[in-house]
Amino acid sequence: MTEANRTRVLPGLPPQVRRVREPVVAIGVFAILALLPLLFSGYVIYILPQYMLFGVLAMSLALLWGFCGMLSFGQAGFFALGAYTMGLCVQHAGAVGVNAAYLALVISMAAGTVIASAVGYFLFSAGVRDSYFVIVTLALSIIAEQIAVGQSQITGGWNGMFIPRMELSLWRWKFPLDSDASIYYVIVVFVAATYFFLRWISRAKFGKVLAGIRENEDRVLSLGFKVPLYKTATFAISAGLACMAGALYGTHAAFVAPSLAGVLFSTEVVVWVAIAGRSSLLAALLGGIVVSSISNALSAITPQYWQLVLGVLFVLVVAFFRGGIAGAVHRFAAHREG
Amino acid sequence: MAELLRAEHLTKRFKGLTANDDVEFNILAGEVRCVIGPNGAGKTTFISMISGHLQPSSGRIWFRGEDITRMPVVERARLGIARKFQTPSVFNRLTVYENVELAVLGTGRPSHRREARVREVLELVRLSEQSNRPTVMLSHGQRQWLEVGLLIGNDAELMLLDEPTAGMTAEETHSTGELVRSLARDLSLSAIIIEHDINFIRNLEAPITVLHLGRVLAHGNYDEIARNELVRDSYLGH
Repeated sequence: MTEANRTRVLPGLPPQVRRVREPVVAIGVFAILALLPLLFSGYVIYILPQYMLFGVLAMSLALLWGFCGMLSFGQAGFFALGAYTMGLCVQHAGAVGVNAAYLALVISMAAGTVIASAVGYFLFSAGVRDSYFVIVTLALSIIAEQIAVGQSQITGGWNGMFIPRMELSLWRWKFPLDSDASIYYVIVVFVAATYFFLRWISRAKFGKVLAGIRENEDRVLSLGFKVPLYKTATFAISAGLACMAGALYGTHAAFVAPSLAGVLFSTEVVVWVAIAGRSSLLAALLGGIVVSSISNALSAITPQYWQLVLGVLFVLVVAFFRGGIAGAVHRFAAHREG
Repeated sequence: MAELLRAEHLTKRFKGLTANDDVEFNILAGEVRCVIGPNGAGKTTFISMISGHLQPSSGRIWFRGEDITRMPVVERARLGIARKFQTPSVFNRLTVYENVELAVLGTGRPSHRREARVREVLELVRLSEQSNRPTVMLSHGQRQWLEVGLLIGNDAELMLLDEPTAGMTAEETHSTGELVRSLARDLSLSAIIIEHDINFIRNLEAPITVLHLGRVLAHGNYDEIARNELVRDSYLGH
């Protein structure tokens, strides 16, 4: 199929018939993000990396929900698991002789992957799908929050856990990330790498099978694909990424509390992705960044009503723009092209 | 011709109801067979046991001499048993090309041979010109054909076609018969077809098995079946 043919899409369709321009736009977005510290300083540069990590969290959900049709209310649970892992590693692993933060990134990714694989394998092999899967992920969030609250000797309970800022190191060379700009760049690189990794997945054979599962799971099964394995792998990749993003969040925010694992935060992730458009990675990323910063701004202006505003927005999108903003933009573009 | 599939004493009970009762059936490689019968005769149940979507209560199924009675759907699909459902089961929001591509991906062909294979299959089911269109934009008949294309692209050896001409125009129905016959003749693809359209069945010139209340009522070519008093009473007379 020629690339030109791929750009034309039926209105309202998830762009599996994918537009070619998205990576170009994405490169532009990352370039702008990379330039921002040269133009701004202070709070913007401090806070933006956290929103970018929310963007990664949103992309991890887009992989699961947009590509494979599995909605999860458990992403925050994995994000918090990553943050706590970072905290514990930095506190306890200093003696091992390697950079504790590196260790934390690897362990958090492994932990998320292993937990999601175990849970996913049993669920998907038993044919659990759709809303039943959603309910299980909801439970995962609650379990994560309860452990964070209950195991206070490890996690600090309601008081949360303080986490020292990580440093980069390579053999003897050490580079502390104390300044806002330095850790900003580390996170921009991580976000861009995640985006291009997920984009590569979505266009590979694996991604094509996921699209098939989203559209018609029984048919994919009848074509001889081991659907439970594909779904398990997707859940595992999604969870691993959410954990890694959480680990970086922990070291950036220097603090993690149980609410980071909670259902409320998980629901926010779903709202970002739904509003921005779940079928596009870039939309999910921008949704995570933009909607979470708007939420933050709103919560400062009107602490009582900001969640109501977000909720109404969510309902409107679900009612009128199933594909979210990305879907609407896409429909508009397709309309203009005739 | 070698025997491809054999079903022995196949019985399926749903609580009080016996949907299939001691059904015997066999099909050779490259053979086309029709299964007819009134509604509720157990035709779809029979197909579902062959495809693995239902487990028989008793009896055995052999494919190329291998006992596949307890084998799950996925593994049967990998052996080459592919099913077309009553309502077209395709990927509506993917393009026609992407639909067949998924089927070809399922065969594990090396990537440089995939595109040629997809094109070849699209040519066979006469959808080459639609290849870049989203599947939702196809006519009902074309979607039926696309699903047959999925089976071919998936390297099926035995196609289970549940009412493949449902919702088709007379012309589409005719070409569907031609397609099935040419696939059997040229590619040695076997097919078990459930149908109600009696003209379609007559044109296929394939052996017919009549099911009634879950049992095999008669077996033979079209003329033998049409002459059979029992079949007339239970089915053709309606």
